[in-house]
Amino acid sequence: MDHIDMQQLKSGEVNLGTSIMAVQFDGGVVIGADSRTTTGSYIANRVTDKLTHVHDRVYCCRSGSAADTQAVADVVHLHLQMYTQTAGAPPSVHAAAAIFQKFCYENKDALSAGIIVAGWDKEVGPSVYNIPLGGGLFRQPWAIGGSGSTYVYGYCDATYQEGWGRDETVNFVKNTLALAMSRDGSSGGVIRMCVITEDGVERLFVPGDKLPKFWEGREVLGAGKTIPIDSGAVPMAVEA
Amino acid sequence: MSIMEYNGGSVIAMVGKDCVAIASDLRLGNQALGISSNFQKIFPVTDRIYVGLPGLATDVTTLRERFRYRVNMYTIKEEREIEPETFAHLVSSTLYEHRFGPYFIEPVMAGLSKTPSGGLKPFIAATDLIGCLNFAKDFVVAGTASSKLYGVAEGLWEPGLEPEDLFETISQTILNAVDRDAYSGWGCIVHVITKDKVVSRTLKGRMD
Amino acid sequence: MASSSVYSSPGFDFSNQLRNNFLSEKGLPLPKATSTGTTIVGCLFEDGIVLGADTRATEGPIVADKNCEKIHYISESIRCCGAGTAADTEFTTALISSNIELHALHTGRKPRVVTAMTMLKQMLFQYQGHIGAALVLGGVDATGPNLFTIHPHGSTDKLPYVTMGSGSLAAMAVFESSWRPNMSRDEALTLVKHAISAGIFNDLGSGSNVDACIITATHTEMLRNVEMPNQRVEKEKKYGFRRGTTAWKRETVKSLIVEEEITHVLGEAMDTT
Repeated sequence: MDHIDMQQLKSGEVNLGTSIMAVQFDGGVVIGADSRTTTGSYIANRVTDKLTHVHDRVYCCRSGSAADTQAVADVVHLHLQMYTQTAGAPPSVHAAAAIFQKFCYENKDALSAGIIVAGWDKEVGPSVYNIPLGGGLFRQPWAIGGSGSTYVYGYCDATYQEGWGRDETVNFVKNTLALAMSRDGSSGGVIRMCVITEDGVERLFVPGDKLPKFWEGREVLGAGKTIPIDSGAVPMAVEA
Repeated sequence: MSIMEYNGGSVIAMVGKDCVAIASDLRLGNQALGISSNFQKIFPVTDRIYVGLPGLATDVTTLRERFRYRVNMYTIKEEREIEPETFAHLVSSTLYEHRFGPYFIEPVMAGLSKTPSGGLKPFIAATDLIGCLNFAKDFVVAGTASSKLYGVAEGLWEPGLEPEDLFETISQTILNAVDRDAYSGWGCIVHVITKDKVVSRTLKGRMD
Repeated sequence: MASSSVYSSPGFDFSNQLRNNFLSEKGLPLPKATSTGTTIVGCLFEDGIVLGADTRATEGPIVADKNCEKIHYISESIRCCGAGTAADTEFTTALISSNIELHALHTGRKPRVVTAMTMLKQMLFQYQGHIGAALVLGGVDATGPNLFTIHPHGSTDKLPYVTMGSGSLAAMAVFESSWRPNMSRDEALTLVKHAISAGIFNDLGSGSNVDACIITATHTEMLRNVEMPNQRVEKEKKYGFRRGTTAWKRETVKSLIVEEEITHVLGEAMDTT
């Protein structure tokens, strides 16, 4: 049973084959994600919300196994509620990220979770932390993750600049995710974004038919000239 | 080769009019080698409940003792005889307890359960090896000849059979199914349970 | 016997694993457990939830049960459809149903769907997918109607219409083309019937009849076999055997006590008042 089951379960695992992203700007952070959840080639959920609340001003973007990341996010949510009660103040983004890292590192053999933690706190303002597969913890001005991220590292490196405002940052996240979703088969659907500032959390939504468009190629056949539709060919006679 | 085919054996139970029947083959094998032609797989639980345990022979013995123990404990605690429905759940939970290291047995149960008005109602049930209950209204099968038993029983069974007719139907079903199964056979036994008696008959079957 | 004590610890017993691993290492594959190939669905409407399921249980290529029940009771206004390993769906829902009842008694409130969902996902996550239960959980509570899917590894999704099991693709095709927000009760029931029928007729793992369950804030209606598109036609001839067809060698008859009458032989009966 072990052999058969293990194979089945691994293949049946629900995956967030994802494109996720977080970028900090002067007043806050913008986080974003696609909305596709897959089991093999089947899309189990096309409107998933991968931007998960863990505290008032701290969110995480989840990639990897849906079950693992949900379980980790739930338990971190619990820890942050306990923290707030005992400390009498909301946790810093770093504190939240450190709890995520603790679980991801200590259970690295059992988990497949790539998480980006982002938010705003009183001490340092906006910040973005990346926690990749092995359970490391890295503060970055911007972070991308999930299977779709590999397609857009170059774009991000070439485009990102310091000193952007909110709207420029939102556009950067939107464009990056649209590019990643168009190249990665495991990403797609809609774009969900959150702008986290001192004042609150604003949710943004880009439907699948309103995604920013880039060069998508042209009709290859007959490029530059028109093919006459009536070629004079007669359809083959078919016996009744 | 599956573990279920290691010793071979098959069981079937059928519902009739105010009666039930349960039948099994009598073979015990070691793969293709026949060892015994009098290996009982059906055991009485109470006067009106019988259980058939086809599968790995070592587990037939173990589970029979386990069920005997648990039914005795139930009888002592409750100070009454166990009902077939209750016994089916006892079997089911015993097997599910071993979900991650199962007994290789697919039990079949047949009995008459008491109705609130004081009458008796036919009851049959079967479970898979991890205790998933199957309450059927017509017949249940298990063992190495199960696929053949399904086919024959599906064709021969009809509702409202009297005890004597039920005996003929279940007997012909198991005899003919078992003849097409290499791992079952070497004689059969049939128990027909009615309100006032249990008739057990050893059938004349092919011994090859 | 494994233990001489009357009391045994709760939970699973792993005592056969050593033997079973040895047997499977010798090249004897483990037999298949009953699985519900299954089409199960759930759908949100105006003032509640409709759940739906087919009624086929399979054991490999064999139809083990032609009319099983896949919509399980969790509480009066929460129900759960199960797909996957049949025993696992049966026992996990029964366990959570029991714990939900205790939780309701403990809090003095009607149970919520998220509570059942959290209990299920935490249990399934703990077992890392070894408990093969794929569930559609639906119900109405103080917060309104709720509908979830729960995968065997413990991940959950909250959606207005969901399908699971091997027939989920056929059923989802029906939902994706016909589901609209704020449907009436009858429209939703018809849609669910169509979705399950799509599974029954297009997926080999699903078959037989349609079960449905309509849950609203005030009322839960279990519609067992609401549609039976695969009824067998009456047999044209009987295949009954003439009595005495079967040759038998030995007969034992065990007479059972049908009635008891107690007669006191000596003197008066003892006064037991």
